[in-house]
Amino acid sequence: MVGPGFRDDHILLIAPGSRITLAQLGLPESFTPAKLRFPTRMFPGLEEGQYLPNKVHELKEGEEMLLRNGEVMTAGPNGKPIKKRKVDSASKSSTTTQTAAKSADSKGDTTMADATDDREENEGEGGDEDEKMDGTKEEGTNSKLFYEDDEDEEGAVWCLDQGRIVNWEAFFALLLHIHETLNPTFHTPILMVSQPCWTCTDKERICQFIFEKLKTPGFGMMDAAAAINAAYNVQHSLVIDVGYEKTDITALIDWNIQEVNRTTIPFGGNSMNKHLQKLLPELTEDEIDQLKRSNICEILPPGVPIPGEEDTDRDTVVRPVEPTTIGMGGVAQPKALDEEGNEEEEEGVTNIAAIVASGKTQEYLAKKEKEKADRKAGLAAGEKRLPNYKRENNSFFYVEKIQNSVIESGKTDHPTEIPDGERMDVDVAPPTAEEPKPAEEASTTSGVDGPLPASSTEEKRPDTEGAKVVPDVEANKSGPSLMESMFSATKEDDDAKRAQEKALRREEKKRQEAAQSGEKRKEIEVGTERFKAAEGGILEAIADAAHRVVSSADNYNLRSECWNSVIIAGGGCRVKGFKDALLNTIVTKYQVSPSSGTIFTSELPSNIPTPSGTGTNTPQPTAFNSQQPNALLLQAAANNAALAAAGQHHLSIPQPNQGPTSIKVAKIPEYFPEWKDHGFDECMFLGAQLGAKIYFVTDQGASKGFVTRADYNSQGPQAIHNI
Amino acid sequence: MASTPQMTGVLPPTTKPAELEYGGDEVSALVLDPGTGTTRCGFAGEDTPKTCVPTSYGIVPDPEEQKYFGKLKIGENPINSVVEGMEIRNPMSEGIVENWEVATEIWRHCIEYRLSSRIEEHPLIVTEPIWNPLKKREKTTEIVFEDFNAPAYFLVKSAVCESFANSKPSALVVDMGHAYTSVTPVIDGIPLRKGSERTTLAGQHLTNQLRHQFTELGIRMAPWLTLKSKTPYTDLAAAPPLRTKDFGFQPHQSFLDLQQDRFIHEFKECVSETWPEAKTFPADINNLPDNFRGIADKAFEFPDGYQRRFGIDRFLAPESLFNPSISPKPITGDLPKGIAEMIKDSIDHLDADIRANMLNNIVVVGGTSLLYRINERLNHELMTMFPGPRVKIHSPGQIPERKYSAWLGGSILASCGAFHQLWISKQEYDEVGANIIERRAK
Repeated sequence: MVGPGFRDDHILLIAPGSRITLAQLGLPESFTPAKLRFPTRMFPGLEEGQYLPNKVHELKEGEEMLLRNGEVMTAGPNGKPIKKRKVDSASKSSTTTQTAAKSADSKGDTTMADATDDREENEGEGGDEDEKMDGTKEEGTNSKLFYEDDEDEEGAVWCLDQGRIVNWEAFFALLLHIHETLNPTFHTPILMVSQPCWTCTDKERICQFIFEKLKTPGFGMMDAAAAINAAYNVQHSLVIDVGYEKTDITALIDWNIQEVNRTTIPFGGNSMNKHLQKLLPELTEDEIDQLKRSNICEILPPGVPIPGEEDTDRDTVVRPVEPTTIGMGGVAQPKALDEEGNEEEEEGVTNIAAIVASGKTQEYLAKKEKEKADRKAGLAAGEKRLPNYKRENNSFFYVEKIQNSVIESGKTDHPTEIPDGERMDVDVAPPTAEEPKPAEEASTTSGVDGPLPASSTEEKRPDTEGAKVVPDVEANKSGPSLMESMFSATKEDDDAKRAQEKALRREEKKRQEAAQSGEKRKEIEVGTERFKAAEGGILEAIADAAHRVVSSADNYNLRSECWNSVIIAGGGCRVKGFKDALLNTIVTKYQVSPSSGTIFTSELPSNIPTPSGTGTNTPQPTAFNSQQPNALLLQAAANNAALAAAGQHHLSIPQPNQGPTSIKVAKIPEYFPEWKDHGFDECMFLGAQLGAKIYFVTDQGASKGFVTRADYNSQGPQAIHNI
Repeated sequence: MASTPQMTGVLPPTTKPAELEYGGDEVSALVLDPGTGTTRCGFAGEDTPKTCVPTSYGIVPDPEEQKYFGKLKIGENPINSVVEGMEIRNPMSEGIVENWEVATEIWRHCIEYRLSSRIEEHPLIVTEPIWNPLKKREKTTEIVFEDFNAPAYFLVKSAVCESFANSKPSALVVDMGHAYTSVTPVIDGIPLRKGSERTTLAGQHLTNQLRHQFTELGIRMAPWLTLKSKTPYTDLAAAPPLRTKDFGFQPHQSFLDLQQDRFIHEFKECVSETWPEAKTFPADINNLPDNFRGIADKAFEFPDGYQRRFGIDRFLAPESLFNPSISPKPITGDLPKGIAEMIKDSIDHLDADIRANMLNNIVVVGGTSLLYRINERLNHELMTMFPGPRVKIHSPGQIPERKYSAWLGGSILASCGAFHQLWISKQEYDEVGANIIERRAK
C-alpha cells in the first residue's frame, strides 16, 4: 500500500510523561530537543467534565484574592478586576529574613509594579473576551470574575501516575489542548511516545481518540524504550528510563523490545526527593526539589567518603575494576581523594612544568603557601575553597517564585510555557568530561527555548547591597563539583583565573537579571545530607531489576551485548553523579570476573586438582566476545555430539556463559549538536523524531509504521496493534 | 465471537465516537497458562505471552487485613524487594491451584498489568494439567465467569496445547516444568489419561538438589539483595567477611530462598550439564576410575564473590533426574522413577498399535528441557530402551518456544477459526452452572 505523502514540517510529536509532556510540530532539518513542554496536568473546569490548562479562580463581586505577586485582586462590579498593591503582608513577611533579599525586593518593587499591573489587567480583559466568545461563561451578568492563574497548582489533576493514565478525561483534554495550541494542518500525522506500562486497551483507547477527535490522517505509537534505543542507535541495549515516580527497565535485542521481561519499578526522581525530605525534615518540598537539582547535591562515587563522617556504612574498598570494563564514559575510577596531601602532590607534579614555563613560579608558590596557611588557619577560611565533595556544609540558593509574570510577559506568544516549580526539566549540568568548567558556568541552563524559566536552579547570589559583602566571589559560591574538579585539577592556574573572571561577570549579569525578575532567594545551608539523595535504595532497586531483566532475556548469547550498551535516560537521572553511581552499583554487585564467565578456560580434566588462580592463566575475555561467542563451545559440543551418536535432529541449545563480564554505557549519539547542549536525558524525543522521519516520510507507510485513516476505518482501534 | 462489547459507554462523554465510525467488533481472546513457577498470559494469535509473572507471591502479615491476614505482594518487583516480615508463598500445590483467592488475584494481576484493564471484555482460555480434578475445573469455571465476568471461556489441557504448538496432532508430550515433569500421550488432539505419568523430578527438584550441594560444599549462599558488594575469593577457608546490608530486620527465610533461587537458576543455565549417555555416569564421583576421560571445568561466581570451578559435580543434579538414587540430597520416601523410565512406563501402558507413532513423535518442552544436553541424554536413554530407528525427539530450537509451549498452543487454538464453536458462553454457564465444563470440555 502506498501511504499518503507526509511532509517533515507536518508531523506532530507528543511524548507524555508523568510530569511533563513534550510536543513539537514538524521535524527540523537538524533534530532539536522538544520545542514545547506542557505540564501533564489539567484543572477541572467550571463545568463538570470540562478541563482547562490553567487554574481558574472564580470570584464573586467584592471577593478578594491574594495573588502570588503580593497584589490583591478584588472583583469589582461587572466582573472587572480591581487590583491593589498590598504592601506589607505577603511580599515581605513570606520572604527571607535576609536584609539583602529585602533590599532587592523593594528595589524591584518600584520598577516592576506598574508593568505588572498593566499586564495583569490586559490578561484579565483578554481572558474575558475569550470567555465570552466561548460562550461558556457569562461575564457581567452575574458579576463574577474569572481569573486564570498560571501559577497556582492547587487542584491540578495529573493525568499520569507512574506512567499509567489515571484520568482519561483530563488526559484527552490535555491532548486536545496540545493539539489546539500547535494547531496543525489536516495533513498532520501524529506520533506518540507510549509509556511501557500502557496496556493494549489503553493504546486502543488513545488511538480511537486520536482518530475520532483530532481527525488525523495517520497515527503511530513508539514505545519509550524503543525511542531511547533509536536515539542511541544500538542494536542490543538495556534501557533504564528513570522517570518521576517510576523507572522502566527494558532489554532490547535486535532492536526489539523484550516484552515479557521488561519491568517498571516504583522508584524515580521523586523517590530521591522523598528521601531527602526524610533527612531534612525542616525544608519544604520545594526547597528539597531545588536542592536536589542544585549543584551541591551529588552522589559521590564509592571510595570518596562523605566529608566529616567516619562512615562505616560506606565501604571504601571497592572491587577492583579491570580497565577493560570501563568503556567510554564508564565507571569513574575512584581516585585516591581521601588524603588531601596526596592530591596536592599530584597536582603539583602535573603542573610544575607548566608553571615553570609560564614563569609564574613565585606566584604559584606564594599561592600554595597561602592556601596551606588558610587550611591551617581553620576550616572556615579553607573550606570555602574546597570542592563540594570535601565540604561538610554547603549552601544553595532557594529561588522563590513571586513574579513569574514578568518573565512570562516576554514570551506571551508561548502561553503554554508555564514555569513550573515541580518540573523535572531543569538542566543539571551533564558531567562534561572534556571541558573543565567552574561549577557556576557548567550549571547554566542550556536555555534552548528562550528565556530561562524562573525555577532554574543555578545558584544566584542575592543582591547583596550593603549586607554581607564578601570580598572573594569564589568564596561564596559552591566549590566545583567532584567530577569537574577532578578534571580541572590539572588545569593551569591562569586558565582558572580567567574562568573565574568569566564566572564573576556571569554572576553579575545574573544578579541583574534576578533583580529584574524580582525573584527572592534565600541561602540554605545543608550538611552532608546532600550526598545521600540516592541512599533510599533507588540504586540497588534499579540495579537488581536491571539484572533480573537481562537475566531473563531469552537470547542467552545476546545478554552480554545488552550489558555492553546500557542507556540511562530520563529526567530522574540528572542528579549529579547518579549515572555513575548507578553503573557502579551494578558493576560491584553483578559483574562477574572474566574468569568465571569464560568456559573451557582450562582443558584440565577435573580429577586433577583445580587451579586456584582466578584468571591469570585464562584467556582474555575478548576471545569470547560478541563475534564468536561460542566458537569453542560449539566445537566442543560438536565433538561430543559426534561421540554420542550421529545424526541427532534435536538441537541442544548452546549453553551461555555466566555474565555479565563487562558493563558499559552506550556511546552518546553524535551528529545532533542541539542535543549535545541539551543533554541526552530526553533522548526519547530524539528517537521519536528519528522514528517519525522513517515511518511517515522515508518509507511512506510501506512498512506499516503507523495506522492510516483507512486502516482505522477498516480495523478500528485495534489497528494500533498491527504496526 | 461470543460477544461484542459495546464501545460506547466505555469512553468518556467528551469523546463519544461518531456514529458512522468504527463500531467495535473483534475482541481478541486472552490465553492464561498458570504454572507453579510462573503464570503466563497474553493475547491469542501472538507468538509469545505478553506477561510472565512469578506465581509465588509475598504476604506481609497485617492482622487488620480481613481477607488474607496480610498484604499481598504480587508480581516480579514486589516479591523481589526486601520488606520486613514478607513471606513468600505459592498458591499452587501439585501443579494445580490450591489457594483460589490468591490465584485469582494473581491471574487478575497478569491480565490487568499489561494486557487490558477491561478483563470482562475478553474471552478467556485457560490451560490445566491432565491430572486436574473435576472440583478444581469447576472452580476455575466459576472464577472466570463470576469474578472475571468473562464473556466466553474454555479450559484446555496443556499437553494438547504443547502438541499443537509443535504442529503435531498426535504426540507423546514430555513437559519438563518447574514442579512436575509429565508425560502425556495425545492422539488426534485428545489427551489419554491412560499412559499419562508425572514425577516431581523437575526444575524445583534441581534447585533443591543444587542448594543442598552448595550447602554441603560450605558455600555461603548470600543472595544479591542482601549484599552491598562482592569480594572475589576462591578459598572458602579464608573467606572474607560478607558485606551484608543491614535492613534493621531479618528477611523471612522463604524470601531468602527465593533470592537464592535466582543465582541457582543462573547456575542451572550456565554451569549445569546433563551427562549425555545412559548408565555411564560414574557411581562415585570422588573416586573416579583411572581411565575416566576428562571433563572440562566451568567456573561460577556466587553473588558474594566466591569463585569456584565445577567439574564432574556439575553433572550431579541433572543426573538425578534420570537416576534419582544418585541425588546429592537423598530423596525421602519412595524413590521415584527416573524420567526415562517414566516415559517407558507410559509407552508400555499404551495400546501396541499406537506405540510406534508415539515413539516417533516425542515432543519435549518446558523450561527444564533447556538444561544443557538433556535431550541428547533422553534420546540416548530411549534408543537404548527401544532399539531401532523409531525413536524421534522433537524439541523447539527457540528458547521462548520451549518455555512457553503450552501458552503458544493455547494461543494457536484460540485464534483458529474452528475453535469458535467450542467457547462456553456466559449464557450457557448461567443456565447450567459450573458443571458445564464437564459436559463441554472433557
